[in-house]
Amino acid sequence: MAKFITIGERIHCISPVIREAMDKRNPEPILKRAKEQLDAGADYLDVNIGPAESTGVELMKWAVQLLQENFDNVPLCLDTSNSKAIEAGISVYNRSKGKPIINSADAGDRIGNIDLAAANDAICFALCSKAGVPADNDERMAYCQEMLERGMSLGMDPADLWFDPLFLVIKGMQDKQMEVLECIKMLSDMGLNTTGGLSNISNGMPRHIRPIMDSAMVAMAMMCGLTSAIVNPCDLRVMETIKSCDIIKNNNLYADSYLEI
Amino acid sequence: MAFVQKPQVYKSAINTVELGAGDRKIALGGATVYPLYSFDAPIENAPKIGVEISDLGLEGAPKAMLDYYGDCKTIAEVAKKAAAMPGADFVCLRFDGAEPGEGERTVEDCVKIAKEVAAAIDIPLVIAGCKNSQKDAQIFEKVAEALTGRNVLFLSAKEENHKTVGASVGLAYSQKVGAESSVDINLAKQLNVLLTQLGVAKENIIMNLGSAAAGYGFEYVASTIERVKLAALAQGDAMLQMPVVTPVASETWSVKEALISEDDMPEWGNQEQRGIQMEIVTAAACLAAGSDAVILKHPASVATISAMVAALM
Repeated sequence: MAKFITIGERIHCISPVIREAMDKRNPEPILKRAKEQLDAGADYLDVNIGPAESTGVELMKWAVQLLQENFDNVPLCLDTSNSKAIEAGISVYNRSKGKPIINSADAGDRIGNIDLAAANDAICFALCSKAGVPADNDERMAYCQEMLERGMSLGMDPADLWFDPLFLVIKGMQDKQMEVLECIKMLSDMGLNTTGGLSNISNGMPRHIRPIMDSAMVAMAMMCGLTSAIVNPCDLRVMETIKSCDIIKNNNLYADSYLEI
Repeated sequence: MAFVQKPQVYKSAINTVELGAGDRKIALGGATVYPLYSFDAPIENAPKIGVEISDLGLEGAPKAMLDYYGDCKTIAEVAKKAAAMPGADFVCLRFDGAEPGEGERTVEDCVKIAKEVAAAIDIPLVIAGCKNSQKDAQIFEKVAEALTGRNVLFLSAKEENHKTVGASVGLAYSQKVGAESSVDINLAKQLNVLLTQLGVAKENIIMNLGSAAAGYGFEYVASTIERVKLAALAQGDAMLQMPVVTPVASETWSVKEALISEDDMPEWGNQEQRGIQMEIVTAAACLAAGSDAVILKHPASVATISAMVAALM
């Protein structure tokens, strides 16, 4: 029913350019990547500052204000293991275009991020894992249950927990792919929102293969009910696939120019 | 257990589009709830009613309508009287006489008439064309130029002429563009995309999704309007959040229920009453489906629909 939500992944401190910009508080490279992703159709932007243990609070505040001031309060996904930094980011966050997303909680050490989301009326990604990759879907669903109960007991709207089944790399875990899709289907059948780091699946594949593989996966995952994903919005093939799937699912009314909007 | 109301209020809203200028200007749209669902949230702008007049005058009009217009002789007098009709929010001038063919009205004549009408009324004006896309584009351009500043709505830009109409009406003269899609929901969206890509601001676009008299394929009109509202509100589709204006009179007064005389069909009863009823039921159904304005012509229909809107708001 609702359109698929794309979260742009390209403001990530793993990128040397972004890391340097974050270290030096240099706006230009960050704004450039933000603009590219928004022009390409990203709904949310992920802001990954890494663990940033000592500087996270200031850095996240700076990044949130920088992006929202320059891009009409673009909704953001605050991505760090430093919960103080997330809190600081939310304290300066403008919600007019959408709630902040906390990236992320899991059923293990990071379950406290659900409490943080509940206390701050935020959306929270909830990884269906505890420590490492879950063995099977029974395990995934048990973690889902655990996190759902925690969120609801704190008064969260279940729609604000976006469950991540953990997309797994195909090279090495090819036999697990259908299981991930089945998990999405189960979560979807429960009426839950879902998300995940889509491009994980094509890690290690040649550059020209990745968009093809990511597109096939997102189409199959949307068929199973996936409602959002963290993607590279500058990947035209993936974005066109998502837009086309949204049309087929009647999430968006068709017009001849649907790929341009 | 007590009934707990869960208001269905959406984060998205229908665009607010203003028509006219000065004290008597009106606003269409703005709703964040389904049509007429004022129990879910207040509806900022109640649906509006336009009164249609024709450049051909009152020839062939039903008796009570002729009685209403009395001895109006000029188009300016007719326009003034239309604007004074209880329940009227705007006047719609339709250039029936401009249709290409023998004795067709020239563009210059249309401009002259439009100016006379505009000068006679202080409520907003809507200009409707003659069904010929090419001629309409010419008329709209010149009338839009002549009435600069009056914030006039033009019905309509179609697939064939949206570029010229959008460029002149919407861009050069900053008037309001009606995008007409004849009950084609995908074209409705596409036209809005194309007009937007042309540079027409969303505050200057309204949609004419097509029209039909009740019983004449009207269910397609109703379901199209409903689907558009669903997309606009529930799916947050910015390319379908333009308010909807539906011309009703031009459809309902040309179907057999309104045309066949009582002599020919005595069991159908009074002919004029039938016409009024067709106009009322069609307009009411359009408003229930989601039209932000309907265009009528009979004083009795305008009075009834205006009372209905007042009672529901």
